[in-house]
Amino acid sequence: MEVNRRDFLKVLSIGGAAALTGCSAQAPEKLIPYLIPVEEIIPGKATWYATVCRECPAGCGMLVRTREGRAVKVEGNPDHPVNRGRLCARGQASLQGLYNPDRIRQPLLKDASGTLKPVSWDEAEAWLISRLAELLQQGKGVGITWMTPHLTGSPDRLVNQWLKILGSTRRLRYEPFAYEPIRTANRLTFGREVIPTYDLESSTVILAFGADFLETWISPVMYAREFAAMRAYKDGRMGRFIFIGPRLSLTAANADRWISVRPGTEGVLALGLVGVIVAEGLVKGLSQDEVGRIRALVDCYDFKRVSEATGVEPEEVKRLARTFAEGDPGLALGGGTAVSGPHATTTLVAINLLNYVAGNVGRTVRFGPVSTLSQLSTYREMLDLIQAMEKGQVSALFFSEVNPVFTMPKAAGFERALGKVPLVVSCSSFMDETVAKAHLVFPTHTPLESWGDVEPWEGMHGLMQPAMQPLFETKALGDLLLSLAKRLGGPPAQAFKEESFYEYLRARWRELHQRLQSDVDFETFWVEALRRGGVFEAIPAQPVRLNVQALSQVLEEPELAGQADAFVLLPYPSLVHFDGRGADRPWLQELPDPMTQLTWDNWLEVHPEDAKRHGIEEGDLLTVKSPDGEIELPAHLYAGVRPGVVAIPIGQGHTAFGRHAEGRGANPLALLPKEPEPRSGGLPWLSPQVTLARTGKKHLLASVSGSDRQFDRGIAQVIPLAELQAYAGKEPHDEHKVLQMYPPHEHPNHRWGMAIDLNACIGCGACVTACYAENNLAVVGKEEVARGREMSWIRIERYVEGPPERPETRFVPMLCQHCDNAPCEPVCPVYATVHNPEGLNIQVYNRCVGTRYCSNNCPYKVRRFNWFTYKWPEPLNLQLNPDVTVREMGVMEKCTFCVQRITEGKERAKGEGRPVRDGDIVPACAQACPTRAIVFGDLKDPESEVSRLRQNPRRYRVFEHLNTQPAITYLKRIRPSEEA
Amino acid sequence: MKTIIIVLLGGLLLFSLAAFSLLPQRGRAPEQPIAFSHKIHAGDYQIPCLYCHANARRSPVAGIPSVQFCMGCHKITAADKPEVQKLQGYWNRKEPIPWIRIYDQPDFVHFSHTPHVQAGIACQQCHGPIETMDRVREAVVLTMDRCVACHQKRQASLDCVTCHK
Repeated sequence: MEVNRRDFLKVLSIGGAAALTGCSAQAPEKLIPYLIPVEEIIPGKATWYATVCRECPAGCGMLVRTREGRAVKVEGNPDHPVNRGRLCARGQASLQGLYNPDRIRQPLLKDASGTLKPVSWDEAEAWLISRLAELLQQGKGVGITWMTPHLTGSPDRLVNQWLKILGSTRRLRYEPFAYEPIRTANRLTFGREVIPTYDLESSTVILAFGADFLETWISPVMYAREFAAMRAYKDGRMGRFIFIGPRLSLTAANADRWISVRPGTEGVLALGLVGVIVAEGLVKGLSQDEVGRIRALVDCYDFKRVSEATGVEPEEVKRLARTFAEGDPGLALGGGTAVSGPHATTTLVAINLLNYVAGNVGRTVRFGPVSTLSQLSTYREMLDLIQAMEKGQVSALFFSEVNPVFTMPKAAGFERALGKVPLVVSCSSFMDETVAKAHLVFPTHTPLESWGDVEPWEGMHGLMQPAMQPLFETKALGDLLLSLAKRLGGPPAQAFKEESFYEYLRARWRELHQRLQSDVDFETFWVEALRRGGVFEAIPAQPVRLNVQALSQVLEEPELAGQADAFVLLPYPSLVHFDGRGADRPWLQELPDPMTQLTWDNWLEVHPEDAKRHGIEEGDLLTVKSPDGEIELPAHLYAGVRPGVVAIPIGQGHTAFGRHAEGRGANPLALLPKEPEPRSGGLPWLSPQVTLARTGKKHLLASVSGSDRQFDRGIAQVIPLAELQAYAGKEPHDEHKVLQMYPPHEHPNHRWGMAIDLNACIGCGACVTACYAENNLAVVGKEEVARGREMSWIRIERYVEGPPERPETRFVPMLCQHCDNAPCEPVCPVYATVHNPEGLNIQVYNRCVGTRYCSNNCPYKVRRFNWFTYKWPEPLNLQLNPDVTVREMGVMEKCTFCVQRITEGKERAKGEGRPVRDGDIVPACAQACPTRAIVFGDLKDPESEVSRLRQNPRRYRVFEHLNTQPAITYLKRIRPSEEA
Repeated sequence: MKTIIIVLLGGLLLFSLAAFSLLPQRGRAPEQPIAFSHKIHAGDYQIPCLYCHANARRSPVAGIPSVQFCMGCHKITAADKPEVQKLQGYWNRKEPIPWIRIYDQPDFVHFSHTPHVQAGIACQQCHGPIETMDRVREAVVLTMDRCVACHQKRQASLDCVTCHK
C-alpha cells in the first residue's frame, strides 16, 4: 500500500481534531455590524491619524495606525520637522500607555481613613467645587497652584487662564531635566536665557561635553537624524565626533573618541581649548580687540594646568583644540547629568566661549528658533514651592502628569510638604507616587485619546487629535477645567465661551490661521493641519554678541569637592525609561539598555578596577550611601565609567506606578542633596559623596548579552577610513564563490533583501520596540529573559573591541538573515520553515510542531521559541496587530521581513494597477530607525536603494564563509583615523 | 508490516468517524436574530451582493451592512412585516444586530476578499448558492484543501505566507 505523506497527515489530523474538539464546544461567534457606519473607517483596513508624541518633551510628530477604531501602531510623521518620520522606542511604547492595564479608570476620592475610593465624575467634580468655593470665599484663591509638565500652546494657555480667574498666578512647568545651566549660561554670555537651535547636520566636528544627545537630551530623534547625516561618508570624508565625560554613554559609544575626564572638569577642558585656539591664532571671525579680551579671560588656563585638572594628556588638549578649530563649522554641546554639578553654569559658559571663538555661534548655534523648553520652571522654583507648601501658603495644589515625589531628590522634602497642603488634586492617567498622595484623583485621557497642540520649538505648531475613542471613563484635562469653571458659576463660568476643549483649541487655531494663512478659509486650513500634523513656521535666527564683561566673574576654576575615599555618583536618565515615566511599559522594561544589555532592572555601574579593590563582584547587592540617604542596588561591572565614578540609571525604583514598574531596583534620587546649583538654580545630579558596602547578598541581573567580545567571528566589522578612501571606485573584494550542490532558488518576481549601515546605526533600540509593536511579540518578564527566552525578532548586539583605555563599541542589529541556503530549512521534519518564491525564509506556525531543530541549526541565533502561551494583560491585548497571528506555546517564530506589510504593499500596487515601487514596502524596523540605517527593498530591481547598497565597498555579510547566502548585507562601520 | 499500518489507519479512521459527530456542526444553518432572507434580497429582487457587502472589493472583510443601511430601505419598504419590525426595533433601541457568524477561518489564516473579488471569483464559489437560501447555511466547507485546489487550478499563489503570516 502506498501511503503518501499528505494522505497520512490528513488521516492523522482528522483523528487529532476529533480528539481535541470532543471536549470543547465553542460558542458561536457573533458578527456585530455598525449601527451607523463611521465614514472614515472601512472594517479590515487601517486608518491613520496624525498627532504628537508626548512621551518626552521633544514633541515629535506621530502617525497612529488604527484598525476598527483602535490604535495598533504608532510611527513618526514624515511631515513633522522635528523627527521627519522617525520615532524612538519610548514613542513606540506610547501605545502601552494608552492600553496600560494599570490606568486609573474612574475618579477617586480620599475618604476619612485615607484610602482613595472610586466615585462618580459628578460626585468628584461637585466635591471639588464645594472645596474651591470655600477657598475662594476665604480669599485663599491666591494660594491655588498648578503644576504641569512641559505644556505649550492651547493647554498651557487654558491652565494659566483658569488659574488667573481663580485669582492665582502660581504656575509651574516642571520637568526633572530643565536645562537650567544652559539657559543661564546663554543669558550670561549672550543675553538670552534660552535653549538655542543646534545644527548638528552642518557641522564637521562635534565636541559633546556630557550631552547625551542620542539618548534623552533635548530632542534625541532629531539629533540622531542630524548626527547620522553628519557622519555619513561623502566624497571621501565624514564628520568627526568626540565625546568628553566621565561615563561611556550610548552617545559616547558612537564617538570617534571618548575622552574620560575627571567629573566636573569639563569646563576647565573647554577653557583650555579656548586658550589653545586663541594662542595659536585659530580664532574665526572675531575682532582683535575681542580676541584680546578673551585671551585675558582664559590666560590662567594653560594646557598644562588643564591637563592636571582634567586628567587629559597635555598633547591631547592641543590636538583636540586644533581638531575642533578645523571644523567648518564645528559645534560644541554641553549638558546632561554629567555637566550638572556645582559648576554647571561655568562649564556651559566655557562651552559657549569655545563655540564663539571657533566661529560657530550664528552658524551651528543659532538663537532662533529657540526651544520652548526654555520656559520650564527651574529646580529652585520647585524648592520655593516646597517652602511655600511648608508654610501653608499653598491652599490647593493641582497637578497633571508630573511625579515630583519620584523625580525630585528625597532630601528636597516634596512628599512631606505635600502633606501640609489642604487640597491636593491630581489629573493624571496613572497611579504614581505623587498621585497616590492626592485627595482627589481625576483620571485623564492619554495623549492618543486627546485633542491638543504642542510647540516644541518656536513656530512649530504640532496638532494633536484623538486616534480613538477614550478607553475608559476619563476626561481630557482641558474639558475638565472648562467643566469646573462652568460649575463654579459667576466670573469663571463667564470667562470661557467654549463648551469643550476642542472648541477652545480651534479658537486658538483661528488666531494662527489669521496670522499665517488667511488666504484660505479656516476649515481648509484646519483639515490640512490635521492631515499634516500641524503648521510649521520658519523662525529666523537672531544675532547675538558676546558679553565679555559678564564672563570674568563667572569663570573660576571648577572643582568637585568630596571625601577622599568616596565615589562620585553620576545618575543618568535611562534611554528606555527617561526620568521614570517609561517604567510601566512592558516593552520598555524588556528592551535591553544598549550599553549594559540589562533588562527589567536597575543597577550601579562600577569600574572593574574599583570593584576589584573593594572586593565587589557582578551582581553583588550593595548599600550605596550618601549624606542624604541610602539605597540598595546590585553592582554591574562596567569599564565605561571612569575609576572613582559610579553611575546609576534613573527611572526605576518605583513604589507605585503599576505592576510592571513597582519593586524594581532603587531610585538614585534618594541619594542626592537638596541644594541647587547656585548660578542656574538647577539640580546638581552629579553628587560627590557616595560610599559602597557589600550586603553579602546576590542579585540576579537579566542580561541578553552572551559576551562583550566577538572572538574574531566578524559579526560587527569595521573598515578604517584610510582604507575606504583608498578604494575610491575600485572593487574591494569578491563575494565568496562557492560550489553549490543544488540549483539556486528561483525568484521570478521579487527577491526581498535588506541593507544595514553600521556606520549609521547608533544602537538606540527603536527598531526593537517597533518590531514588538508590529508583530505581536510577547513580553516574557525578567526571569525568562535571564533564561535566554526573550522573544525579540530583532536585537541590537553590542560588542566591545580594542584596549580597555580606548574601547571601540560596535552595534549590530541582528535579525533573521533570510538565507538562500538557510540552515534551518533542511532540518525541519515537518516543512514548517521553507524558502518562498520571493526569497523569504518563512515560518508556518500551523505546521510547526516545536522540535526546535531549526533554532539549533541557525548560526545567527535569531529564532525564538514560545515556551508558554504568553498573556497580554487586558487591555494591552487591544494593541495586537490583527494582520499578524498571535503565536501559542510550542511554536517557533522569527522575523518575517514584516510579510504582512509586503502583502499590503503588493495589493496596494495591484489595486493602483502598477508594479511595486522601491519604498512602497517598509518593514517596521526600517520605518522606525532614527538614522535610516536599515533599508529594505527588492534585489531583483537593480535600481532599488538596497541593490545599490549591496554594491557599496563597505559591504559584507555575516558568516559569509558558511555559505548561507543571507539576504541581509551589512555595511561596515567606518573607523575614523587614529588622531582625533 | 503493511497489515499493521492498514489496521492502525483503519482504526484511526473509525475513531475519527465516531468523533466526527462531535465536531462543530459543518453545514450549519443557525437561527439568526432576524430571519433575513438572502433569497428575497439577492434572489427575487436581484440585489447585487456588493450592494450590501460593499467592502469586499476594497477590504479583507466583506462587511455586514450597518443597521442604518438596512433602514435606508426598510423605513418604508415592507415596514409592516414582523421581521422588518424586529429590525426597526433594533434601530429604535440603537442596538446593533448580533448576527451569528457562519463562515470563519482560524486565527492563523489571513484571508482577504479584495484579490478574490478583483480576480472575478463569484461569491457563490465559496459561499454556495446564497441567493436561494431563506436562512444562510454553510453550503461550502472552507478547508485548506479547497483553497489550495482552487489556487492550483487558477495558478494563483501557493506560497504559504499568502495566507499564513
